[in-house]
Amino acid sequence: MSELSVNHLLGIKYLNKQDIELIFETADHFKEVINRSIKKVPTLRDITIANIFFENSTRTKLSFELAEKRLSADVVNFSASQSSVKKGETLIDTVNNILSMKVDMVVMRHPNPGAGVFLSKHVDASIINAGDGAHEHPTQALLDSYSIREKLGSVKGKNIVIVGDILHSRVALSNIFALKLQGANVKVCGPKTLMPKHIESLGVQVETNLKKALEWCDVANMLRVQNERMDISYFPTTREYAQQFGVNKSLLESLNKEIVIMHPGPINRGVEITSDVADSNQSIILEQVENGVAIRMAVIYLLASKIK
Amino acid sequence: MKVLLKSAKIIAPGNKVYHNKKRDILVNDGIIEKIAASITSPKGTSVIERTNLHVSLGWFDSGVCFGEPGFEERETIANGLKVAAKSGFTDILLNPNTHPSPDTSSAIVFLTDKAKNHAVNLFPIGNMSVQGAGENLAELFDMKKAGAVAFYDYKHAITNANLLKIALLYVQNFDGIIFSYPQNAEVRGKGNVDESEVSTRLGLKGIPALAEELQIARDLFILEYTGGKLHIPTLSTAKSVKLVAEAKRKKLDVSCSVPVHHLVFDHSVLEEFDTNFKLSPPLRGKSDQKALIKGLQDGTIDFVTADHTPIDVEQKRVEFDNAAYGSLGLESAFGALNQQLQLEACITLLTKGRERFGIPTPEFKEGATAGLTLFNPEGEYTQTENRLESTSKNSAFLNHTLKGEVYGILNNGQLIL
Repeated sequence: MSELSVNHLLGIKYLNKQDIELIFETADHFKEVINRSIKKVPTLRDITIANIFFENSTRTKLSFELAEKRLSADVVNFSASQSSVKKGETLIDTVNNILSMKVDMVVMRHPNPGAGVFLSKHVDASIINAGDGAHEHPTQALLDSYSIREKLGSVKGKNIVIVGDILHSRVALSNIFALKLQGANVKVCGPKTLMPKHIESLGVQVETNLKKALEWCDVANMLRVQNERMDISYFPTTREYAQQFGVNKSLLESLNKEIVIMHPGPINRGVEITSDVADSNQSIILEQVENGVAIRMAVIYLLASKIK
Repeated sequence: MKVLLKSAKIIAPGNKVYHNKKRDILVNDGIIEKIAASITSPKGTSVIERTNLHVSLGWFDSGVCFGEPGFEERETIANGLKVAAKSGFTDILLNPNTHPSPDTSSAIVFLTDKAKNHAVNLFPIGNMSVQGAGENLAELFDMKKAGAVAFYDYKHAITNANLLKIALLYVQNFDGIIFSYPQNAEVRGKGNVDESEVSTRLGLKGIPALAEELQIARDLFILEYTGGKLHIPTLSTAKSVKLVAEAKRKKLDVSCSVPVHHLVFDHSVLEEFDTNFKLSPPLRGKSDQKALIKGLQDGTIDFVTADHTPIDVEQKRVEFDNAAYGSLGLESAFGALNQQLQLEACITLLTKGRERFGIPTPEFKEGATAGLTLFNPEGEYTQTENRLESTSKNSAFLNHTLKGEVYGILNNGQLIL
């Protein structure tokens, strides 16, 4: 049986193309499972997973928990605000305390880039990165590519534009790695103030005009503006941001083709996309959420099979 | 105490009599008594014979951190000086990186008292501003009288241009020297590594080279207006080297140093999020690294500093964003520098710079005070935690193979091996 080349899922950049294909094939199977009347399989009855979230999350946490439960794993949840970590306990101590209760796998979200890599070097458990600062969010990128594959047949050769706050976005970074690995053409679009200066070194092109970007692409992945990560104001007002980088129905209709609209959520309706776009037939936002569970089941299953 | 160094190859570039000669050297009560092809050891002499023994004048570093007072868990003065000795350094400037900040003469006296009777001479750098807060000048003259050799708000940018202007004017009455950390705080923002393709891949917040270059350009502009002596303690970018070269052409009284780490490593080492590479200024790209080495060779950059910064494991064994800045440097400085440069150039760099800070330079001749470093330039080793005698173990050079082993020093009449 094929297996992943890695023991942890720390980022897309640590995977190869075969890993992604294997995850997708496995997800195909689990997607069929979760659409059955009995959505649960007994596969991971002997596995205990801790979901450790040092940052707020609704959908990612829920999606992981559902994926774990549908595989029949035992699940414990731990949420900590940064302030409780500041009380003194280090990340290694926090996680080792949880692991001493015989936990096999850790799903972690953390505000610092590289936190998953750091943890994987210091604790004895399989680590899944559920988002680490502006570094990576690998399961989001996997489910995004999986959704494109599902909608358009394949990712290879497709034109994808990622729009918005690229500077603070782990979703953008993981998506760029995943899409490039699968042979897609990638552009990024947004204000220059939210564009990393060296972004083109990742093999993507920068387009500052949204209309041109949309005319070029097959898929537009709209990112949320992450006000909470900004130390200063990178643009004057959200109103002005929306005027330049928001997608609305009339803009979509002005294009000479029908493009696919994606969004990793949560949506700021009226900022990066308007409601009529989010709820339109061109949007696959809810399919992304559904696929998220199948993808996470696949990742957990494949990593669990490497434990021991 | 009598010490006889047997068959020591003398590396003393510029010394026509002894350079590259193999000699026996007899030191009696801290004075070089005799240098000759062969000396019979008088009674009661410690005879030092070592593999490929080389000797040079004692080495000097213009910016070392320990921790005492305030951060003794990082390093104490006593152990720090022992580490310096075993790393070949006979004279060091101590950065004002302690708690409380050394911004008064009594704080300076505390440091010099603590270092008394050691083999290594410690020269404190005082804060430039009260508590290093960058607002008002500290009592610089009083600190200078107490033994401070320079003034520096340690690794904090002087954001107030007028404060730097005033400081550079004020110290001219007593031949003081101001250190200015080259980093514009606003452009740096929350960045903690070099802004580059590596920081982009890793999602780490970048510090543009612009932050350093802008500050240096400003400081040099101010220096041109004020006159006085300015030292830039840590250069890290190619354009910074150009800015300093231009200032020197204009005959401005500016000197600068480069951290040894920046000559050996570039930002690609960050891929594993190893916090021992979290340095300030950050490690830059390969082209910067080349420009720094070239700047050293053509004399634009005056000195190399080990930028020795002990940090306890609690501040390093954490997520990258939460880790403290800095790496040990003293114990690897020679091995690293010796790999980058020819031995003669390496020893020239390690022995120069004292005069810039008003510190007496030892001489290599009979009758002179012995301030000597003993080493083997061919000795290869891998740096490990066990080898490090520093209290903290945060070395960027861990698991790195180095060429150039230090035996120790003979200074202030004491032999430390």
